[in-house]
Amino acid sequence: MQKKSIWRLAPLALAGLVSMGAHAQSDGAFTVSGFATLGATGTNSDVGQYAIFGQNRGASKSWSGEVDSKLGVQFNAKANQTFSGTVQLLSKQNGDGNFNPEVEWAFVKAQATPSLSFRLGRMGGPFFAVSDFRDVGYANTWLRPPHDVYGQVPISRFDGADMIYQTNTGIGAVTAQVFGGKAKSMVQRTEVEMKSLVGFNATVELESGVSLRVGRMQGKLTVHAATLNALVAGLRSVPIPAVSSVGDQLDPNSKSASFTGLGLTWDQGQWLINAEYTQRRTDTYASDTNGWYLTVGHRFGKFTPYGTVSQLKQVSSNVDNTIPKAGFPPATQAQLNFLSANVDGVVAGQRRDEKTLSAGIRWDVVRNTALKAQIDRITPNGPGMFLSVPSNFSNRVTVYSLAVDMVF
Amino acid sequence: MNKIKRLASLAALLLASVGAQAQVAVIVNSKSPTASMTADQVASIFLGKSNTLPSGATAAPVDQAESAAVRELFYSKVTGKQAAQVKAAWSRLVFSGKATPPKEMGSSADVKKFVAANPDAIGYIEKSAVDGSVKVVLSVD
Repeated sequence: MQKKSIWRLAPLALAGLVSMGAHAQSDGAFTVSGFATLGATGTNSDVGQYAIFGQNRGASKSWSGEVDSKLGVQFNAKANQTFSGTVQLLSKQNGDGNFNPEVEWAFVKAQATPSLSFRLGRMGGPFFAVSDFRDVGYANTWLRPPHDVYGQVPISRFDGADMIYQTNTGIGAVTAQVFGGKAKSMVQRTEVEMKSLVGFNATVELESGVSLRVGRMQGKLTVHAATLNALVAGLRSVPIPAVSSVGDQLDPNSKSASFTGLGLTWDQGQWLINAEYTQRRTDTYASDTNGWYLTVGHRFGKFTPYGTVSQLKQVSSNVDNTIPKAGFPPATQAQLNFLSANVDGVVAGQRRDEKTLSAGIRWDVVRNTALKAQIDRITPNGPGMFLSVPSNFSNRVTVYSLAVDMVF
Repeated sequence: MNKIKRLASLAALLLASVGAQAQVAVIVNSKSPTASMTADQVASIFLGKSNTLPSGATAAPVDQAESAAVRELFYSKVTGKQAAQVKAAWSRLVFSGKATPPKEMGSSADVKKFVAANPDAIGYIEKSAVDGSVKVVLSVD
């Protein structure tokens, strides 16, 4: 790790000290709890970097502590049987490239009846099966949630309201949630916004230990990318429909976007299985993708080896480059070719196809600490989820990761 | 010969007392309408899957200290889960803002005192520690 990145980790360490001072304080009405991961990641590749989608820096042959390391502190205050409040501060490498703690959650909750609750404020975006605790390494078997699925939506929280209904039925416990609001996130130093965000999800936990989930969210997506907006304006200024329409297809302002997922969890005895199948759809340059994974693990006392197979597949680039390749005076054609090459560049940069085979082991060292080691073999077709790679990248990359996960 | 007999009865006594110690009693308030509970019902309360007693009242569960032997025994026998699994399950609930884990008490005497004073309380102690101040709804070996 370079000296510079050690300084970037300083706020994380500071937050850690603060939280240790408050170590597991609890007097019933007010509780402080926290989680932390210290991770190290390296790859066998000189080309490109492995990072969580949205981050600015990742791991290559030169190892990085910035991919998985994080620290969260959560404050809960209970006013009475009905009202409570929760604030979660989270420090991890964000889309701005620093570790400044962010307010991940800040909501008030009203437990109207034992089965019905309402929340208002900032809360975790329930887009995936493990959305709420995706950053809590200790709560998960894997070292990190499968990136081929969880990298599709670089938004983890939203500001708004939700309603959660829980009930026990003949087949098992059912939890249903509806939510609405707006979200904002920094993705590789570019601001991404979702407005008019609405969604629902439902989970049923069967007696057999099987848990099934279905969820969907949709909204209006805006990506505040200056160069892309300049390209869109350039295309639209050309009085040829076959050119200006390409501008409309690339336009990243207030475009419909949705994310739909199915999840399965089976945890019975010593076996555990997790699987999700997801679809991302947009009406802009961000490609339509399908992502899935299957994880199988088995507990042997304090050791849980596991394996994951996952895939992220582009189903549509959403952009049909109809800019004429010929038929215009040379000066005009040169300009069109320039625009066309730029369009192709944007489309190629959105090729997320990749397949991953992972194997890892979790070791529950003591009651609140787990050590994990994981190896991922990633085969991209295009840039996949890698940073700083050419658009024709297709090298198979092996990622090595170690992590210490704690809760307190 | 007599000596061997005496040793044998001593061993039997020892075994019996170990057996007695290894029994866990799930207890509720003596005035609670709940007469008995299944291991599944108790497990869902202590794993945060349910917050209601069979009577419909909101349960007030209390836990033993993490270092207590009876806690290890309770979770392995009643929920079928290891300590680390229980901790991971609770961290999923805590860090999704869905629930807070049961309050931890320092000793079985403290658990008994809390349960005796709280109409909707539920806890567990060594069977040998049970007295008239609380009611046993489930006991496991």
